[in-house]
Amino acid sequence: MNEIAIKVDQVSKIFGGLTAVNQVNLEIPQKTIYSIIGPNGAGKTTLFNCISGFYVPEKGKILYFGQEIQGLSTDLIASVGISRTYQNIRLFSNLTALENIMIGLHPKFRSNWVDAIVHSPRYLREDKETKQEAIRLLNFVGLAGYGDYLAFNLPYGVQRRLEIGRALANQPRILLLDEPTAGMNMQETQSTTEFIKKLRDDLGITIILIEHDMQVVMGISDRISVLDYGTKIAEGNAAEVQSNPKVIEAYLGPGGAALAEKFQKQRRSNVKSH
Amino acid sequence: MNRQEFQKFSQHGLVFAIIMIFLVLVDFQTMFATVISKILGTNVLRGGLPEVQYMVIFLVLYSLWMGWFISRKEENKSRRIIMTLVASLTAGVVVGLFGLILNSLIQSGTDVRRYLAALSPESMKLFLLNLDGLGPLALLGVFTVSGLLGGVLSIILQSPSVGKWPKTIKTGISSTWQKFTGSLPPFIRKNAKYLAYLVLGIVIIVLPTRWGSYNNFVTGLVGLYIILGIGLNIIVGLSGQLVLGFAAFFAMGAYSMALLNAPLPHGLMWGFWPALLVGVLMAVVAAILLGLPMMRLRGDYLAIVTLGFGEIIRILLKSDLLSDFSGGPRGIQDIKGPTIFGLPFNNDVQFTYLIIAGVILAIFVYNRLENSRTGRAWLAIKEDAIAARATGINVQRNKLLALCIGAAFAGLAGAFFAARNQFTGPNDHTLMVSINILSIVIVGGMNSIPGIILGAFTLKGLPEILREMENYRLLVFGGLLVFMMIARPEGLWPAKRPQLEKKIKPDTRDGDTPGKGDKNE
Amino acid sequence: MQSKETSTPQIKRSKLPKQIRQGFGIIVLLLILWRLYLVFGVEQEYTVDIWARLLISGLVIGGVYSLIAIGYTLVYGILRMINFAHGEVMMVGTFAGYLVLEATKSITVPTPDNSLLSFSNAYPIISVILAFAIGMLIAATTGYFLEKIAYRPLRKAPRLIPLISAIGASIFLQNFAQLLFSPQTRDYVNPDIISRGAGWTMMINDSKVILPYTGVLTFVLSILLMIGLYTMIKKTKLGKAMRSVAMDKQTAALMGIDVNVIISRTFIISGALAGAAGVMWGLHNGLVYYFVGFLPGIKAFTAAVMGGIGNIPGAMLGGMLLGLMESLGPTALGISYQLKDVISFVILIVILIFRPNGILGEALSEEKV
Repeated sequence: MNEIAIKVDQVSKIFGGLTAVNQVNLEIPQKTIYSIIGPNGAGKTTLFNCISGFYVPEKGKILYFGQEIQGLSTDLIASVGISRTYQNIRLFSNLTALENIMIGLHPKFRSNWVDAIVHSPRYLREDKETKQEAIRLLNFVGLAGYGDYLAFNLPYGVQRRLEIGRALANQPRILLLDEPTAGMNMQETQSTTEFIKKLRDDLGITIILIEHDMQVVMGISDRISVLDYGTKIAEGNAAEVQSNPKVIEAYLGPGGAALAEKFQKQRRSNVKSH
Repeated sequence: MNRQEFQKFSQHGLVFAIIMIFLVLVDFQTMFATVISKILGTNVLRGGLPEVQYMVIFLVLYSLWMGWFISRKEENKSRRIIMTLVASLTAGVVVGLFGLILNSLIQSGTDVRRYLAALSPESMKLFLLNLDGLGPLALLGVFTVSGLLGGVLSIILQSPSVGKWPKTIKTGISSTWQKFTGSLPPFIRKNAKYLAYLVLGIVIIVLPTRWGSYNNFVTGLVGLYIILGIGLNIIVGLSGQLVLGFAAFFAMGAYSMALLNAPLPHGLMWGFWPALLVGVLMAVVAAILLGLPMMRLRGDYLAIVTLGFGEIIRILLKSDLLSDFSGGPRGIQDIKGPTIFGLPFNNDVQFTYLIIAGVILAIFVYNRLENSRTGRAWLAIKEDAIAARATGINVQRNKLLALCIGAAFAGLAGAFFAARNQFTGPNDHTLMVSINILSIVIVGGMNSIPGIILGAFTLKGLPEILREMENYRLLVFGGLLVFMMIARPEGLWPAKRPQLEKKIKPDTRDGDTPGKGDKNE
Repeated sequence: MQSKETSTPQIKRSKLPKQIRQGFGIIVLLLILWRLYLVFGVEQEYTVDIWARLLISGLVIGGVYSLIAIGYTLVYGILRMINFAHGEVMMVGTFAGYLVLEATKSITVPTPDNSLLSFSNAYPIISVILAFAIGMLIAATTGYFLEKIAYRPLRKAPRLIPLISAIGASIFLQNFAQLLFSPQTRDYVNPDIISRGAGWTMMINDSKVILPYTGVLTFVLSILLMIGLYTMIKKTKLGKAMRSVAMDKQTAALMGIDVNVIISRTFIISGALAGAAGVMWGLHNGLVYYFVGFLPGIKAFTAAVMGGIGNIPGAMLGGMLLGLMESLGPTALGISYQLKDVISFVILIVILIFRPNGILGEALSEEKV
């Protein structure tokens, strides 16, 4: 069994009277792709915001390799190795693609403003490294040649890739992807899925994924949790989750499980009759 | 042409007529005619009026512009003519009616200057082209004819054969330029950049000694505002914090210099350089004191707090509370200049050198910072503070850093300013100063050094040179700001993002750097 | 399975900035309390009648500030921009009221007793109403054209651009007024019965305290206008449309609201309020010159921020608070009256330290991820 990369322990987040995340427990092993699914408004993004430090949960703990990180500032959490992307892309849109990645490299280096003014040896070394590393990452996410475009001029799919590239820049150990294939066509979705797999297999990054495209989720997830109204209602691998009646009900409404079974039977009989 | 269109066109004319009437109410037309007269070689005595032909030229130019402006977007030529005719006729009639009113005022001998200060009988007469009763008719004629002419002119200028002219001229110039550079020896071609710097350097060294103290005074002022503009640009342009009280930091520098290097009120006389250092440090301290509690505020809140801070500093300096310490409203006089290697720096020429050195330092520091790790962090914060935080940037610390460095520049400029004028008082540090600096940055082009230099020359240099406009300076300045923001919001010389991907050497691009398994594409 | 990077970086917690911030605020608060203790507890130099006078002038100024602050807040709520030229709109109103009163003063309506009786003294109520009506009308027109010329083309521009445009418009209007009316300071000509200084006399502690007629007029009228505006925003169709545009322009447009018209009307309303404030300012303080709108404008903006910009009750509260602080503050803290502006700005800073969105302001959705 892998080490636990992120442990979410009884976390609750309350906005006014609304409990957006309600006593959720998750254990996410290292080097896995872990998906969080659920209907709209189930509290998935809120949970991401708690992990990446935008929100401080009212109750519970979040452990990153055994260390508590809830309540830490976002920049600190990012610099220890938890990177993320956003549901609606948040690039630095008036900067070039390459600069976006260079900004992502920020926590990796130490040179400060004095170094920059006097061009100290540390600055010169780090500056060279920054540029080369940025170019390497640009190639890695498949955006060679796009480097000098302003980010807002890039096509949608490329912007998503770039956002992942920026998130990868500080060599994260955990990557939170918020709907990475939203708005993509089949082909783009396919290549993004492959890419995410590669991140896990080649770079050994733990990936936590929010996704609505069930084909993507079922195809690449090592483990899946289902949230509904802020509560975790199911956990398991793809097959387990798919057959869980609670999950089906959450998606299709009360009585959904029976409905789904009926449809499945129908489909089976259709297949047989063919 | 139907009635609606007729109404629309005459409305266009009406707008221009109303603008004209407002201009006359503040006697703008006389100033403009004076400027035209000066350009054409006839100087007008101070307080005197220009000759009548220059007023005619002004009116003709105005209505030509009107005709061109109204019709420039219409495709159909005949419609264009009708359009300008209707509009110019309307404008002419309205201005003519206004002229009738003016004429009756002159005839009846009422002095309206108690309420409308600018309307002197002489300038009204001049506006009526010294024709008295026929004046309104003449105005109608001038507006209609030259308005129509403007419309015709716009047709000619936009016709395909003429429309190519700018392009032809452009390519002509660039090809000649290429021929010229091609004929140069290779040594010069290779080192063109350095040679250009050399020429610039010689100009900078020679010019101040040649062109008299007034020009040096103006250059020095522009230079100070360039330093201030660069400082504020670090805060507003790079890190995206709207600061409206930048003059407070300027005051810190100026007053440190004044208190430490003037005989009164304390008689400290530390010398210029230590005082300069203290001035910069004091500005930074002020920035920290302001920044620490306020760094978390949203943009507009920060704007009003910094504005308030600027006012607090100014009011404190002016108040009786500190008058023993800082001279109160009278300010501090006899501030001593620096000495370098025993040579005293007292006149404008020497100060110009000093300020130019300051400008070069500021540009140098700015350039190094902008394209560094710190500079990128600032830009990221400006673009999206939340995403910046999530990429591991400490937003508050970096914002505070930007504020401090910007303030340090202001402190430097303030110290120079006080020593150069040998005087500083609370009125040198008003809100208007802060607004001027902000305007320089935005009108010139944010994050663009050439833009800021250009902005400082346009907004501080030009008004100093165009003395005729003295009274109208701020009016024109305000109007220009609005116009610039509408017509060219990116500034006179907009910044470009660096194109890095091309520049980085190809051998590093596909290098198999170890670490991550890079088997992609 | 052991990975080679099991050692996670050590995480250091630091929460210093927040403590520094609040510490700063607490120090200032303690200083203020200490001064208050000295003035009230130890020195006791000032008697009740002095406080009554200061309270009256504070309430009057506060009413004017509130009216102007509402203008800032209305525009900010809808366009998310600081209408920097708002103070100048007020100045235009002051001048318009001045000209009306001058005109009514110069017209004579002879009566048997007095052959030189001027219109403004014969019919003071009508002339004051006329001054307010025309002042509000001209200021509202100025606001309308200001929006149309200087702000509307910049609707989609980045935030700084309209601000600079507003600053430009402010400078333009100021200098236009200066050139038009000359830089001299003029006296407002009140009708005789509400001349400045006249008022009900009260005896407090055996000393006369005057409750000036202009002050009462100003205060009552500003309260009435505020109530009117508030009901309009809450009850009428236009108010509803304004609120919806403030919330989300696009959705409002989809619901069939003409956003441009609503924005124009917002500027007209805020201009009219500023015009009324301008005439009040003139009647009560008595001076009119081209710079008259600048300081009240800045103060009112401060008041709007203090109350939470975008929030109408906040602007009213902030205006009143600022007026009172300005008037009572210097005496209460025992410092020079020259420093009243310092007091208001320091209080603003302290308020923003503890409530970064103003007293009644709510956190805007900007921070939402």
